[in-house]
Amino acid sequence: MKRYLIATAVTLLTIAFPGSAIAQQPSRSAKWTKTYVVEWNEPAMYYGAKTGVIDPGTDCPNGTNPEIDWVKVLVDAGYTLEEAKWLRNPANPTRSPVHGQNQMAFRGKDRANVYVNPTSTPDPGLAPVTGTTGEGVNLDGDEKTGFTGPTGEKGIDNNFYKCLGCWKTYRGPRRLSSGALQFNDSMRNGAWTTVIVVAGEGADPMNDDKVTVGFYVSNDKMVKDGNGNIARDYTFRIAPHAKYEGILPARTSNGKIISTAPADIMLRDPGYTRDLELLRAQVNLEMTPDGALTGYVGGYRPWEPVYKGWVNARGPVIEVLTWVQLPAVYYALRRNADYSPMGTDGEKTHISFALRIDALPAFVMTPDASKEVASVESYKAIAPKETDKPALGTYVVDGIVPDRSGKFQAGPNAVILPPSASATNKNQ
Amino acid sequence: MMGTQLLIKRWVCGVFIGALALAVTPSFNSSAQRAGVARTIKPALRRITETQYRRTIADVFGPGIKINARFEPEKREEGLLAIGNAELSLTSSGFEQYFALAISISDQALGERQRATSVPCKPANPNQSDDVCARQFIESYGERLFRRPLTESETLARLKTASAGAERSGDFYAGLKLALTSLLVAPEFIFRVETAELDPANKGQYRLDGYTKATRVSFFLWDSAPDHELLTAARNGAIHTEAGLKQQLNRMISSPRFEDGVRAFFMDMLQLDGFENLVKDPAIYPKFNQTVSDSAREQTLKTIIDSLVRKKRDYRDLFTSNDTFINRPLAAVYRIPFASNNEWASYTFPQSSGRSGILTQVSFLSLFAHPGTSSPTRRGIKVLEIFLGELTPEPPANVDFSKVQDSSKGTVRGRLLDHMNNKGCAGCHRRTDPPGLALEHFDGLGQLRTTENGKSIDVSAEFDGVKFDGAQGLGKLLRDDPRVPASLVRNIYAYGVGRKTEDRDEAFLSDQTKAFANIGYRLPDLMAQIASSPEFFRVVVPSGVHRASSTPVAPTTAPKKTKGVSR
Amino acid sequence: MSLPIDRRSFLRGMLNGAAVCVGLPFLDRFLNGNGTAFADGARLPVRFGAYFWGLGLTDTPTGGTRWVPSKTGRDYELMPELESLKPVKDKVSVFSGFRAIGDGRPNLVHWSGHASILSGVAPAATGRFDGPSFDTRIADAIGTSTRFKVIDIDASMSRQPVSYSTRTGNTFATPETTPLALYTRLFGAGFQDPNSDDWKPDPSIMLRQSVLSAIKDQRQALMAGVGKADQIKLDQYFTSLRDMENQLAIQLQKPEKCAACAPPAAPKETPRSASVDAVRANTRAMARLLAMGLACNQTRVFNFVHTSGTSETYIAGQSKIYHQITHDEPIDAKLGYQPETSKLASIVMEALGDFLVELDAIKEGEGTLLDNSLIMAFSDTGYAKIHSIENIPMFLAGRAGGRHKAGQHIHSTGESVTRVSLTAMQLVGAPVGEFGSGTMKTARPITEVIA
Repeated sequence: MKRYLIATAVTLLTIAFPGSAIAQQPSRSAKWTKTYVVEWNEPAMYYGAKTGVIDPGTDCPNGTNPEIDWVKVLVDAGYTLEEAKWLRNPANPTRSPVHGQNQMAFRGKDRANVYVNPTSTPDPGLAPVTGTTGEGVNLDGDEKTGFTGPTGEKGIDNNFYKCLGCWKTYRGPRRLSSGALQFNDSMRNGAWTTVIVVAGEGADPMNDDKVTVGFYVSNDKMVKDGNGNIARDYTFRIAPHAKYEGILPARTSNGKIISTAPADIMLRDPGYTRDLELLRAQVNLEMTPDGALTGYVGGYRPWEPVYKGWVNARGPVIEVLTWVQLPAVYYALRRNADYSPMGTDGEKTHISFALRIDALPAFVMTPDASKEVASVESYKAIAPKETDKPALGTYVVDGIVPDRSGKFQAGPNAVILPPSASATNKNQ
Repeated sequence: MMGTQLLIKRWVCGVFIGALALAVTPSFNSSAQRAGVARTIKPALRRITETQYRRTIADVFGPGIKINARFEPEKREEGLLAIGNAELSLTSSGFEQYFALAISISDQALGERQRATSVPCKPANPNQSDDVCARQFIESYGERLFRRPLTESETLARLKTASAGAERSGDFYAGLKLALTSLLVAPEFIFRVETAELDPANKGQYRLDGYTKATRVSFFLWDSAPDHELLTAARNGAIHTEAGLKQQLNRMISSPRFEDGVRAFFMDMLQLDGFENLVKDPAIYPKFNQTVSDSAREQTLKTIIDSLVRKKRDYRDLFTSNDTFINRPLAAVYRIPFASNNEWASYTFPQSSGRSGILTQVSFLSLFAHPGTSSPTRRGIKVLEIFLGELTPEPPANVDFSKVQDSSKGTVRGRLLDHMNNKGCAGCHRRTDPPGLALEHFDGLGQLRTTENGKSIDVSAEFDGVKFDGAQGLGKLLRDDPRVPASLVRNIYAYGVGRKTEDRDEAFLSDQTKAFANIGYRLPDLMAQIASSPEFFRVVVPSGVHRASSTPVAPTTAPKKTKGVSR
Repeated sequence: MSLPIDRRSFLRGMLNGAAVCVGLPFLDRFLNGNGTAFADGARLPVRFGAYFWGLGLTDTPTGGTRWVPSKTGRDYELMPELESLKPVKDKVSVFSGFRAIGDGRPNLVHWSGHASILSGVAPAATGRFDGPSFDTRIADAIGTSTRFKVIDIDASMSRQPVSYSTRTGNTFATPETTPLALYTRLFGAGFQDPNSDDWKPDPSIMLRQSVLSAIKDQRQALMAGVGKADQIKLDQYFTSLRDMENQLAIQLQKPEKCAACAPPAAPKETPRSASVDAVRANTRAMARLLAMGLACNQTRVFNFVHTSGTSETYIAGQSKIYHQITHDEPIDAKLGYQPETSKLASIVMEALGDFLVELDAIKEGEGTLLDNSLIMAFSDTGYAKIHSIENIPMFLAGRAGGRHKAGQHIHSTGESVTRVSLTAMQLVGAPVGEFGSGTMKTARPITEVIA
C-alpha cells in the first residue's frame, strides 16, 4: 500500500494567495489530470430480466424476493394467531404509522430481539442470485472464482451481489432499484459529494502506465441542470476528510483505467451504513468519449456494519418496506463473506463488493480553492477531527424507535391485547 | 354612505378654495411651503421605474420594508427605457398593484415596532386624531416622497384623511397609515412631475425649479429621490448656482451610491431587463437556469462598475479588456475552474478564450439569441443599436423567402450570406449581420464552440469597408470607432433628461463627445460634465400647455435672501 | 337614475331561479349605461374575451387545404388545423377571407394585422396602436359591475409580457403571466366568496375610499401647466383610479350567490419554458382559473394572449423557433403546404381547443359558461411566411347567451376584419354602431351570425 506524503499539501497551504483573484495554475509532478464528480453510485447489481424491475430473470429465476406474510412469521415465532393478526393490524395503537410495529423485533427464542440478536432465530432464508453473470471487479486475481461480467470478463468477485442481489431494495436495472433511487436522490439534492481525480505522468492520458486515481469528499453541492440531471463543469473544492479518501495506483489502456495494485480505501457509502471501507480495493473504469467516467470500484467491505446499518434504519420499517426478514440478511452475509484481513485462517469479516459509478467532468480544486489539483495526494493529515454522527440520531435503540410517551413498550414481556380481550377487560 | 362622501367632498372643496385664497396673497414668510407668485408650467411627467421606486422606499423608510409586487412593464424607445417611460401612464391593474403596495408599505412603516422611529412626534391621545402630530408626519414624508414640499392643499387633504381615519377606527396610527397610503399612490409620487418657473435671470424664459433640478440630478447619479442635503440645496436656491450645483455633483459622484446610478444606466442601455423573462430550451442549453440568468446580469454590471467607476478606466476598454468577475454557476457555463472561497471572484479571460469584453459575456450573448440557437442577426442589430446608436428598421412584409430558404447550408453563416446577396434583404443585413457573424464562436448561451455540424465556424466579417475577424476583431473595431463614445454621450444625455435628442442638441453633444475624449473617456467625469451644463436643465415647453389662471398652484423655491432678486 | 322594478327580483323571475351569476351595480353613479342593457330585459349580459395567437394558420393567400372549410354555413367540415375545435364545433363560427386594409400605410410585420382587428386602423408605427383596442369599449359597457373591469392574461412565456389592450395606443395593459399570479389576482387577497354565508362589509375598504378621494381632489391643481401629451397620461391615471374606486364599491356590497362558483386551490409554480408543450399546458391551467374567475363573477371581460405575434415558441429539442420555421420552410411540392409549420399551427389550435373546453366545462344556468360568453379568437397574419394580412383566421366562440347563431363558416372575399370586430361588439351588447377608420370603417355587422 503506497501513500503519498502530505508535505506538498502543507506547503501549498502556507503560501498566501491575494484576495479573491484567481491565479493561473502551474503543472506539478503529474503531466495530466482528469477530474470528475460522481453523479450516481450504487452497488453493482446485474439485472437478468428483460423488462420491469422485479421480473424473473437469469439472476433470480423467481423474480425479486416475494412479499412476506408477516402474520405467519409471527406465528412461527411463537405468537398466537390472534396476537399476530393484532400486531399487524394498523388499528393497533402500539403500531406507529411512521416507525412500524416495534414488537416485530421480538421474535427470537424467548422473545429475543432478532435485530440485535439475529441468531436467536433460525435462518429464514434469503434466496440468492443463481445466475452466472455479475458486475464488479476481479479482486482475487483468480478467473475461476466469481461471476462472468456482461461483456465476458471472467472472475468477477461480488458475493455481496450473490447473496443480496434478489432483495427488493437492491435488485433492478441500472438506476432503478429502490435503494439506489433513494440514496442517489439524497446525494444529488446535496447530502454529500464525491469527486474523483485521475492523474498520470505519461503523455497520453488514454494510454499511460503511471496513473493514480483519487477519491475525495467535497462540501460543495452538485447542481442540477434544466432537465434534472447533474450539470457538468461545476467546480468542487476538496474537503480533507479523516476517513473518506481513496488513492489507488493504476494504468490506462485505450481509455480504460485498471488498478495496478490493490489499496485500502474508504468512501461515503450510498446507504445506511455510511462508511464504505474497501480492503484490497481496485478500480475498473472507463473514460468515455463525451468526457464522462463510468465503471466500478470494488473491494472487500466489512459485512456486519451493512447489517447494522439496516437495523439502525429501524428494523420494522425496513422489513415491511423491502420485503425481507433482517435476520436472513445477517445469515446470508455471514455465509457468503469471503475475505479475512487476518489471512486465510482468520474469521471472514469482509465480503467482496463493487460500487458502480457514473461521474461527469468537473473542476476539482485544492482545499484552499486556489488552484485545480494537479496530482493525486492525501489530505487526511489536515482533515478536521471526525465527529461520528449516527445516521438517524440516537433515537433508534436496538433497531426500533421506543415510544417516547412510554405508554406502549415492546419487548419480550409485552402483553399483546387484541381488542376483544381489552374490551372484556374494560367491561370488568 | 353616499351622503357622507358628498359631505366629505364638499368639506374638502371648501378647504381647497380656502387654500387657494391663502395662496393668492404673495407671502414672503419663512415657511417655504406657502406659495409665491411666479407662474409655473410642468414640462414633463415621467413614471418612476421599479428600481427608483424601491430605492426611494428604502431611503425613506429603511431597508427593512418588504416590497412584493409586480410592476408595470416599461417601454423602450430609441434604445432607452428612460425615453420610452416618458410616454407611459398607469393602467387599472397597475393602479391596483401600486395601491396594494402603498397599503402594505404603510402597514410596515407604521407597524407597532417601527412607529417609534418613523413618527417624529407622539399624539396627545393615541386613540384619537391629532392634527399637529399628523401634520408633522405628513409634511416631512410628503416632502421626501413628492420630492418637494407639499402645498397646503395637499397637506390638508391628507390631514383630513388621517383625522377621519383616526376617529373612525379609534387609532391615531390607523389614520396616519391612510394618509401615508394616499401619498404613496398619488401621481406626484408615482410620476416625476417636472416643474418650471419663470427664470429670474432671463425675462420671459423658464427654468426648472430647484426641486426639479434636484430630482433630475438625484435620479441621474443615484437612481433615487433627492436626499436631505439635495433638498436643502433646492430649498435655499444653491442648486441654481454653478458652485452650489458643482458641490452637490461632487458629493454625489464621490459617494458609493454613485454605483447605483451607473448600474441603473447600464441596465437600461444594455437592455439587461431582458433577463426578467429570458427562457432557453433545456434540451439544448441544460446549464441555463434562473441562477445563471441572474449571475450573468450581475457579472456585466460588476465588470462595468469596477472598470469605469472604481478604476476610472477608459470606457472603450469595455470592448477589449477581459478583466471581469465570475461566480461558481457562471464558471460552469464558461467551463473554467472557480478558484475562490467567496461568492464572486475577479477573473481575466486569457487571449486564447477568444473573448473580448462585454460583447462576449454570457449576458450579451444569451440575451440576444434564441431559446435554442445563437442569432447573428439579432446580435448584430443590438451591437448597432446599443453601441452605435443605429436603429434597424423592421423587415419588409412582402419579402421573398424562396431565395433564402434552404437552410441545409451547413452553418448559420451560409444562410445569412444568402440574405446579404439578395436585393430585398441586403440593405439591412449587410449592416446587421457582420457583427453578429463575428460572434458565432459563442452559442445561444454564450458557451464557446468553434465547430457547427462538423464544420469549423468562420468568424471573419466586413463592416463599413473594414475587414475583421472574430470577437476580438469586433471589439477592436468598436474601440476604434468614434461613433461609439459619441453614442454613449448621447445615451447619457437622453437618459438624464428623459427625452429623445433633437437637432438642436447636436452641437452640444458633439462638444461633449470631444470633451469626453479629452478626459480619457472616463465615465464619472462625463456624467459630471453633462450634469453641470445648462443643457441638462433645458426647459422644453410642451405643446398644448393647460393654462391655469394666474393663481399659482404649485410651490416654487423660496427667493434667496439677497438683494436685488427680481420676481 | 332608477328603474320602476327592483332589478334583482326582476331578473330572478326571468331566470326562474336558475343558477346564473349576475353582479349588480350598487351605486347609481357607476351605472354608465348598464341601465339600458338591463332595462330591455331581453338579454343577459354575457362575458367577452379576446384570444390572440401568433403566426396565423397555414393556408396561403391563393388557397389551401389546412383550415378554410370549403363549405359555408352550418355544415362546414372541420379542416385539419381546426380538428381541436371538434368538442365545441357547434358553438364556434369560423370567419375566413377577411383582411386588414392599410390605406397606404406599410404592413408592419406581426403588428398591423391584429392592430387593425383591435383598433380599427392600421397603425403608423410598430409597438403602438393609433386608437384604443375595442375590448376597452366592451369593458366600459359591461365591465363595471364586477370587481375587475377586465383581466389581461399572457400565457406565452415570452421575453416581455404581451398585451394588446390599450386605451391610449401607447400604454398596454399589464397581463398576468403565470397561473399563480392569475390565481392571486382572482382568488387571493380581496376575493370575497360569493357563496359565503357570513359576508360582512369590510370597514377598512371604506377607509381606503377616503385615500382615493384625497388624491382626486388634487386633480385640478395637478393638471395646471401640463402639456397635452401629459394630460392624456394623467387622464389615464385618473381613469385607473376610478376603476379602483369602483372595485372598492363592488367589494362593499354583498355579492350575489353563484352556484357555479367554486374557488380553486392555489396552483403550484411551474418552471418557465417556452416550448409548445409548456405554453399549451400554461394556457390550459390559466384557462381553468380564468373560467372559474368568470363563473365567480370577478370579471366579465378578459384578454388572453396564447403566443405573441412573433411567437418564439419551439418544439423542445429543436433549435429553430416557430417564427423562423414559417419563413424558412418551403412549401412541400406534393402536399401543397408547409408541413412543419402546419404541425405547429395544429398544436397552437389545440391550445385554443383546450381553452374553449375549459370554459365549456363549467355548468351555468341551463348551459355552460361558454354558452354565456363570446370569445373572439384571432391571429396577426393569414400567412406568416410572407406576413400576409389577408385571410386572417378569426373565430367567434360561445353562444353569447343565445345571441350568437354559432356553428357557421362565413367566407368573405376581402372584406375588412373590422366587420368581425363590430359583430363581436354587438353580440355582447356594447352600444356600438360602427367601427374602424378609412376603408376599414364599417357599420355592417355579419348578420348571419346574429340571432
